[in-house]
Amino acid sequence: MTSDDTSPPEPPVKTAGPGLLERVSVIWLLPLAALLAVLGVAWQSYAERGPLIEIGFENASGVKPGTTELRYRDVTVGLVEEVSFAPGLGHVLVKVRVDQEVAPYVDSEARFWVVRPQVTARGVSGLGTVLSGVYIEGLWDDEPGAMVERFDGLADAPLERVGQSGLHLVLRASGKSSLVEGAPILYRGIEVGRIGAPSITADGSTAQAEALIFAPHDRLINTATRFWDASGFSFSLGPSGANLDFSSVASLVSGGVTFDTMISGGAPAETGATYTVFPEEAAARESLFAGDDSETLMLSAVFEDNIAGLAVDAPVELNGLRIGRVTALNGLVDEERFGDSRVRLLTNLAIRPGRLGLDAEQGIDGAGRDAALALLRDRVGQGLRARLASASLLTGGLKIELVEQAGAEPAQIEPFGEDGLLLPTTDSEIADVSATAEGVFERINALPVEEVMAEAISLMQNTNRLIASDETRALPGNVNDLLGDARGVVGAPEIQALPGRLDGVLSDIQALVAQIAQEALAARLGATLSDASDAAQGVSDAVAGVPDLVAQLDAVAKKAEAVEIDAMAAKLTELIGTAETILAADETQALPGTLNSALEELSAVLAQLRDGGVVENATAALGSARDAADTFAAAGRDLPGLISEAEAVLTQARNTLAGYGAESGVGRDAKTALREVERAAKAVSSLARAIERNPNSLLLGR
Amino acid sequence: MRVAPMGTRVCPRCGSPLHSRDPLALQKVWAWWFLGLGCYIPANLYPMLETRTLVSSQSDTIVGGAVELAHHGNWGVAIIILVASVLIPVAKFLALAGLAIGVWRGSRRSQTRRHLLYEIVEYIGRWSMIDVFVVAILSSLVQLQALATITPGRASLFFALSVIFTMLSAQSFDSRLIWDSLGGGDGKEDLAQ
Repeated sequence: MTSDDTSPPEPPVKTAGPGLLERVSVIWLLPLAALLAVLGVAWQSYAERGPLIEIGFENASGVKPGTTELRYRDVTVGLVEEVSFAPGLGHVLVKVRVDQEVAPYVDSEARFWVVRPQVTARGVSGLGTVLSGVYIEGLWDDEPGAMVERFDGLADAPLERVGQSGLHLVLRASGKSSLVEGAPILYRGIEVGRIGAPSITADGSTAQAEALIFAPHDRLINTATRFWDASGFSFSLGPSGANLDFSSVASLVSGGVTFDTMISGGAPAETGATYTVFPEEAAARESLFAGDDSETLMLSAVFEDNIAGLAVDAPVELNGLRIGRVTALNGLVDEERFGDSRVRLLTNLAIRPGRLGLDAEQGIDGAGRDAALALLRDRVGQGLRARLASASLLTGGLKIELVEQAGAEPAQIEPFGEDGLLLPTTDSEIADVSATAEGVFERINALPVEEVMAEAISLMQNTNRLIASDETRALPGNVNDLLGDARGVVGAPEIQALPGRLDGVLSDIQALVAQIAQEALAARLGATLSDASDAAQGVSDAVAGVPDLVAQLDAVAKKAEAVEIDAMAAKLTELIGTAETILAADETQALPGTLNSALEELSAVLAQLRDGGVVENATAALGSARDAADTFAAAGRDLPGLISEAEAVLTQARNTLAGYGAESGVGRDAKTALREVERAAKAVSSLARAIERNPNSLLLGR
Repeated sequence: MRVAPMGTRVCPRCGSPLHSRDPLALQKVWAWWFLGLGCYIPANLYPMLETRTLVSSQSDTIVGGAVELAHHGNWGVAIIILVASVLIPVAKFLALAGLAIGVWRGSRRSQTRRHLLYEIVEYIGRWSMIDVFVVAILSSLVQLQALATITPGRASLFFALSVIFTMLSAQSFDSRLIWDSLGGGDGKEDLAQ
């Protein structure tokens, strides 16, 4: 063919196969890269993921797989992957994937708890978890340890926080002291520790709680330290006044415990040591010397009498010193021991060796107890017995007394029951108040009350009869009559008229006396007469027979002078005697008494008036009146001054007015003067004008 | 303008290799397809939307969210989500795979129908992003700090990547290949090379 001849052979066409790039698209690199990336990421996450730990919880409230975090110092270090049940559904297993970097530290010491919102008296915690949901908090030390896969979660947050360490103690509540979870342990008002969740001890007698004293303060605790309850407040009223005592408001609300080391020389406390929390500081101090409840010697005593009045906590005394207390009371029937089936009173006694002076503090535990037991054994050998005795006469409460009885039957402390010790007893010495009172009542009962009463009644009847008799009844009437008679005597017209008559007699006497006074006249008359007689003598000398006349005259004068007066004097004397007898009469004598009584009545009335305040009122009224009068008087005293002042003013006014009047007069005068002057001036000016107009007029006169 | 004659391997002007059909088209389709499928798996496993409110935080995968909505009675929304996020992407994967296999092995179905299918796949591709749009809008709108926050989950990224890769896969597919099987076409030869 043509092609064979003409055309040059076909150049060797290079039909090189397509290169790798042409046969395979570059795009394939992308899925490859993606695949590698996925594998890489998967491997990395697998390689870097931490171990899975299991934490057992009571419940898993709020814990969600894939959401709930594990935190350490509030940094997320893990995530809950699964929540399941432990075999037997006993609790919940939470599986947590822990980050690789913290995993080595999560060793057997690690603790976990669920943080939930909590509202307590101490405050609010975990509030953030309300919104964000709960999380699991982990706590572990900074020492890497062997990996542990299974943990038991705590129900509550532990006492210590991250980075806190301290001394762990066990606090045991005694008596009325209380342990509150989360309550602070205060020392000098500073919180140095915290109380954990309290629980009841195995024997059920006390509550105890774990407590943590934070690190720098744990050296404050030693074996001589005593704790007491600082919650609440105490109020005491004593010679130094009222005293209100409470530690802090927070502990008032939520409870708290404080402590003090009362004496020196305690050994450092060990972790987990048990301390008793006393209700108050005084009890804590006391315990230091008396030993506390934990060191007791338990004894039993059986009493034949089964008498009401003995109660738990009743004192056990030795020589009046309280050395223990009754811890339990029971009935006891023990035929083997006592031979009959009577019910006896079995008491359990707790004796404190510390009270016996056997120091329970020193030495090993139980040393004081053994010493006390040895002492009691010895004393029982010498006759020490327990007996019931009255503790209080009023309440009838009983106590147990240990007394030494000389000549008692030999006895000893015997084993009793499983590990009990039986203290020998003796007859009770009970001052039975009720029996004594009964005796008193019996004696009162035995008194012959009935007879006495009967006699008294008959006496009263007799008296009544006497009083009711007519004679007795008439007695007041007679007395009345007697009095009436007396009154009649006193009120008789004769007696009444007596003063009048007396008056008359006296006036007579007066007249008589006047007459006697006139005797001077008579004397003068006598003189005249003697003169006359002289004259007559003279006359008689001259005239005979005159002496007879004179003698007659003398006789007349004598008669006139003496006779009547004598009789009158005798009459007067008689009258006076009568008056005297009257005055001496009883009635008259009684007159002053009556008067007196009247006066007394008057004075009583006056006293009454005074008591009634009338006098005071009157006095006050008078005082007021006087005050008023004084005021008036003062006013009156001021009045003249006022008047004079007014007068002065008036005078001044008058003067002024007068002056003014005078001035006005002057003015008037001045006015007229001025008017005159004006007129004069006018005249002068008209004159001047006239002169100006006509100077000649000066000369000419016109 | 001159068209290089059939069979020209190199552009006379610039020297670039010339193909009437992209010889690696199907490889590209498959490569993107696998990438898209690879991304679609985590898109369904990881949460699409993380809703954090004051009291709770919730993260839902695509199907989980749809189921939850259905539980609450929002059947309409649930169906829309399921259709847009599950049904369509899965259908797209199947359609693309079917088209590629049809070209590779030959198909008994008519070219017209296959072409229609391709058109639909390519058209729908851009709407597949509707899920991602919703997530983007929600997460930008609901940013109320502590009260409520919506953040896109990891799945949204993977879902977006998956959509992008499937779109690229659909674009890489040369629809002419469907018709090359009719025979007589030069492209077939080209492809053979």
